[in-house]
Amino acid sequence: MTKTNFFLVFLLSVMISFGFILKSNENTSEITLIDEVERLSVTEVEHALGAPLPNHYMKNYDEELAKIGEQLITEGKANYNGEKGKVISPYFNCTDCHNLVKETEDITNLNPQDRLDYAVGNDLPYTAGSTFFGIYNRSKYYNGDYDKKYGDLVIDARDTLENAIQLCAEYCASGRKLVPWELEAIMHYYKKNELEVADLGLTNQEMKLVNTALNREINQEEALTLLQTSYVNRYPATFTGAMPENKRSYGSKGNPENGEKIYRSACMFCHENSRVTYLNLTDDVLSGQYLWNHREGYDDLSVYQVARWGTYPITGRKQYMPLYTKEKMSDDQLEDLMAYIKKIANK
Amino acid sequence: MSRLVLITVVLGLLNSTFLNAQEDKKDLVSETFSSVRIINGNSTETLKKRQWRYIIAHRFGDALGDQGGIQTAFGFDNAADIRFGFDFGITDNLMVGFSRLKGSGPYRSILEGSAKYRFLTQTQDNSVPVSISFSGSVYGTYMPSSEDISSVTYFERFAHRMMYGSQLTIARKFHSRFSMAIMPTYVHRNLVQPTDVNGLFSVGAAARIRLNKSLGLIAEYFYNIHGADVRDEYENSLGVALEWLTNGHTFTFNFTNARGFGELQYIALTQSDWLEGQFRFGFSITRTFKY
Repeated sequence: MTKTNFFLVFLLSVMISFGFILKSNENTSEITLIDEVERLSVTEVEHALGAPLPNHYMKNYDEELAKIGEQLITEGKANYNGEKGKVISPYFNCTDCHNLVKETEDITNLNPQDRLDYAVGNDLPYTAGSTFFGIYNRSKYYNGDYDKKYGDLVIDARDTLENAIQLCAEYCASGRKLVPWELEAIMHYYKKNELEVADLGLTNQEMKLVNTALNREINQEEALTLLQTSYVNRYPATFTGAMPENKRSYGSKGNPENGEKIYRSACMFCHENSRVTYLNLTDDVLSGQYLWNHREGYDDLSVYQVARWGTYPITGRKQYMPLYTKEKMSDDQLEDLMAYIKKIANK
Repeated sequence: MSRLVLITVVLGLLNSTFLNAQEDKKDLVSETFSSVRIINGNSTETLKKRQWRYIIAHRFGDALGDQGGIQTAFGFDNAADIRFGFDFGITDNLMVGFSRLKGSGPYRSILEGSAKYRFLTQTQDNSVPVSISFSGSVYGTYMPSSEDISSVTYFERFAHRMMYGSQLTIARKFHSRFSMAIMPTYVHRNLVQPTDVNGLFSVGAAARIRLNKSLGLIAEYFYNIHGADVRDEYENSLGVALEWLTNGHTFTFNFTNARGFGELQYIALTQSDWLEGQFRFGFSITRTFKY
């Protein structure tokens, strides 16, 4: 081998080695980036991919305010800056109707039975309202048929989170409007618990797509669509009205085991030991017979009616029952519930 | 006083012994009785935190006997006692109340302040087999003092206007349809007749059978414990009632020989005798609100 050939082979070897080093570095770099992307705020990533920021956008949250916000949500009252807070509603806390964590394994899954099974498996109540998990990332509230219940009150609340919170505090919870620091504290809590990319349950392939779109500005539209369809941006709400009497099986077509899950995680969540309401429900024969005996017709005491219409606050009794939309409880589940009531009523 | 200290110590021990069992509220037995009062005695029920309750209770005249019958529309013409009052829930286990009683027997225009603390609640797994509450009441009359120096309403000192009642209620729900309660009670009056006792012990017992979710039948009896040479003219209190529970209201329709409300009156001052037709119809209406 001549000196020239030796030099060329050496140069080629160095180049190949350098190429390997470069490739190796590139892989390491990608893995690191994916880890980082998982921890990024979904809102921030969406914005980086071309989506507008939400109108309630906050750059950061304050830890202390977020804690106060959580206290307001779970206890209905908090103190701030030495100022003694007042009860938002004597009748309800937010968590009487809303969970704070995800309600299905796949957070895009709105199937009510899957939601029920997840609630039972994770010791969550089966609430009538949508979870606050990821509420910061939503853009629409009081969707679907909620205007049938609240009329024009929902207009300003449908596209503004702060207005939706105020509507909930004043009307849904039979309480009062929040003062500015209370509203701010709740917003900080929501911001703290906003969705991160890791919450979306993306596959490795999908993560790579997002990562690449973010770092190399490739397929950004596709990545944005992927993100936006990986969580629920707006919860649909369909009011069905009470099941017509001629369509009710009064539990004969229902599954009492499933009905027991609903009774325990939905009905008794509020009615056990009269926690929220004056009507005390247990799983004994007296409660069963009470509900069974009122099963017919369309008054408030019929489960078929009250599950779909709820009740309304009246003077002297502001605590009322919220309704279950079709998305939150299916007609089949309602029959399952009635089958369980029939069982404990010994009918 | 030493008895009070002893009771306090025993209750404190019971409280601390079973405290851990009370942490999970889901396992607690509810509605042992439907209201904070059974007929006259205190149940182990309390108002929840931030609840208040308005009470209207009325007790008419003798249904039969010399003072009853058709001429008085079986007692409806007369009002033996009337109670208006409020109760407030401080916590889920502590409530306070204030009532005004018309008064029956020697005392008129009685004000009553009361407090009840439930320190033990029966659990569904029977790790705590009973619910126990302690109630205390202070009574004061603002009626004019009698000029008769031998009368118990001759109030030489302000203390003579004051009376006290304390009651321990031990209750158990045996079945969704059946509950019982035992109520050891002590009533103290600062001024009594020579043939009476200042401190009077009584033991009450009550049972409830629920016909359905809304209706229940109740019986209640108080046996007074005292020497044979005193209180000849007084009777033990016996009552039966039908209760009707609605979503917020509780109605109780009762027949009892006790003319007055409050431990002071139904335990210490009952003179009517069932066997002579001296029982009366009464009712109470309570409405619970949240504030």
